[in-house]
Amino acid sequence: MSTTTADRRIMERPRYKATPATALLVLAIIVAAVVAAFPLAWMILTSLKTPQETMQVPPVWLPANPSLDAFAQVADVVSLGRSFWNSAIIALTTTVAIIVTSLMAGYAFAKYQFRHKEALFAILIATMFLPPIVTLIPLYRITGYLGLNASLAGVVVPNLANAFGIFLMRQFIKGVPDELIEAARVDGASELRILFQVVAPAVMPAIAALVLFAFVYHWNSYLWPLTVLQGNADQYPIVISLSRLLSYNRGAMNTGLVMAGATLAVLPPVLLFVILQRFFVDSVVSSGVKG
Amino acid sequence: MMLAPATGLLGVFIVIPMLLTIWLSFQNWSTQTGFETATFVGVQNFIDIFANNSVGRDFKAALVNTAIYTVLSVLIILPLSVMLGLLVHQKIAPGGVFLRTVLFSTYMVPMIAVALVFSKLYSPTEGPLNQILGWVGIPPQTWLSAPQTALVSIVILNVWQQVGYFTVLAVAGLTQIPESLYEAAKIDGANPVQRFFSITLPMLSNTLLFSAVICIINAVQVFEPVALITQGGPVNATNVLTFHIRRVGIERAQGGLGSAMAVTLMLALVVAIALLFAFARSREMKNS
Repeated sequence: MSTTTADRRIMERPRYKATPATALLVLAIIVAAVVAAFPLAWMILTSLKTPQETMQVPPVWLPANPSLDAFAQVADVVSLGRSFWNSAIIALTTTVAIIVTSLMAGYAFAKYQFRHKEALFAILIATMFLPPIVTLIPLYRITGYLGLNASLAGVVVPNLANAFGIFLMRQFIKGVPDELIEAARVDGASELRILFQVVAPAVMPAIAALVLFAFVYHWNSYLWPLTVLQGNADQYPIVISLSRLLSYNRGAMNTGLVMAGATLAVLPPVLLFVILQRFFVDSVVSSGVKG
Repeated sequence: MMLAPATGLLGVFIVIPMLLTIWLSFQNWSTQTGFETATFVGVQNFIDIFANNSVGRDFKAALVNTAIYTVLSVLIILPLSVMLGLLVHQKIAPGGVFLRTVLFSTYMVPMIAVALVFSKLYSPTEGPLNQILGWVGIPPQTWLSAPQTALVSIVILNVWQQVGYFTVLAVAGLTQIPESLYEAAKIDGANPVQRFFSITLPMLSNTLLFSAVICIINAVQVFEPVALITQGGPVNATNVLTFHIRRVGIERAQGGLGSAMAVTLMLALVVAIALLFAFARSREMKNS
């Protein structure tokens, strides 16, 4: 049975000819994929090793008896559940807010005419290219004035809008036909209603891409949370808890523990990518080249 | 008004801080106190960060390290992204889309996790990299533990994490090259290498320019591997600007000095990108 399915699958793809060039390309693809996947594979393999195995010289590649002990222990060392929860709150609230604010501003830039529109848009785009470190010091003081330091709100509030999101939404909303919007206006719909019930459904692929971009960026973000949380460990997202795991590791703790923690932290963004990757690739293409 | 939420937020949390950074770079100010405590000191902060004392030496080391790190990243990532892009884009052999997925998923991995994993891969005795080098007869490397190799090790880590993103950009550029150009070149008898240099590379120049700009901006942001593994060491070898500015401006609360460093970084970035565009334009004029 299985051979017939495999045979059929090969027969459905007659365009690949078995030439030396093809073989060479396949080899190159395999080598590139193995090199790219190796660090993650090593991470997962090490998380399944015993403490003794992780310290052997020369290193052992495959755990003799794969065990999940490291995963069980990692929760004892750092408050893993709490950190995951904090990361989820940070990533989800920023993502939802960025979608809403980007849709609104993107709609205005794509479909409204107003004074200084081009200049305002240029300033917003410029902020996209500003490395965060350039604004870090005064921003830390500003969130301090607002009473946000050492709290999750301090991590979230400065990131509720995003220039890349506005840019992406503008690019895609431009493609929504004006007639569609006019028709809704004639029916007496409010602008917000038009945006969320007419325009948004028409740019779903771009929204999916922005969901992925925003979620991954803020799940992974380290510099700002580290700065604004001022050592308040209760509020640490998973990436900061992970970094603390390494300093425990300098003592007697084993490497498997660190790798187990890293594996857990990597899962949400990578899984989301696998689900939404088609949209993300499309949006990188349209923002990078056509933009 | 549709624009109010986004522009208000970006104004308060990016544009105003940016202007404050410029203002603070001319002030003596402790980050632990309010802005009203700042006192004007002219260009003294800029004199200090380029002076011949420990403050100046540390900053200049960070500036040079960041420049080396950025140039190496661009020089490795761009050619690699074109090669991998060609592998993903080609239609002769299967596996292109699969490769794209694998490459791009590394871009999703938190930099902290990347840094953790690579700190173990690089481990001189327990790490697999020296073991693999040993198999092909290359002596063990010091990686992150010696000043000569530490910065390059972090560049390699950065390349691994970022190259997938730039590969996707390269593929996007490749998709836009009309097939008819290749057909015409084939009729003229151009071999694949000639076709690459006479068609593919020139047609990719806009993509590569965009990639270079993004690559530079990403590179000056390197922070996690330094903060997590090397703390700027050994002997300042991996002290880079984002790490150093945060250490001075936040941890040591020297807000004026840190802001002067941030402004210098901004200016360096503007100059670098302007030079890049000038270079691209001069190439374009030569070709046309």
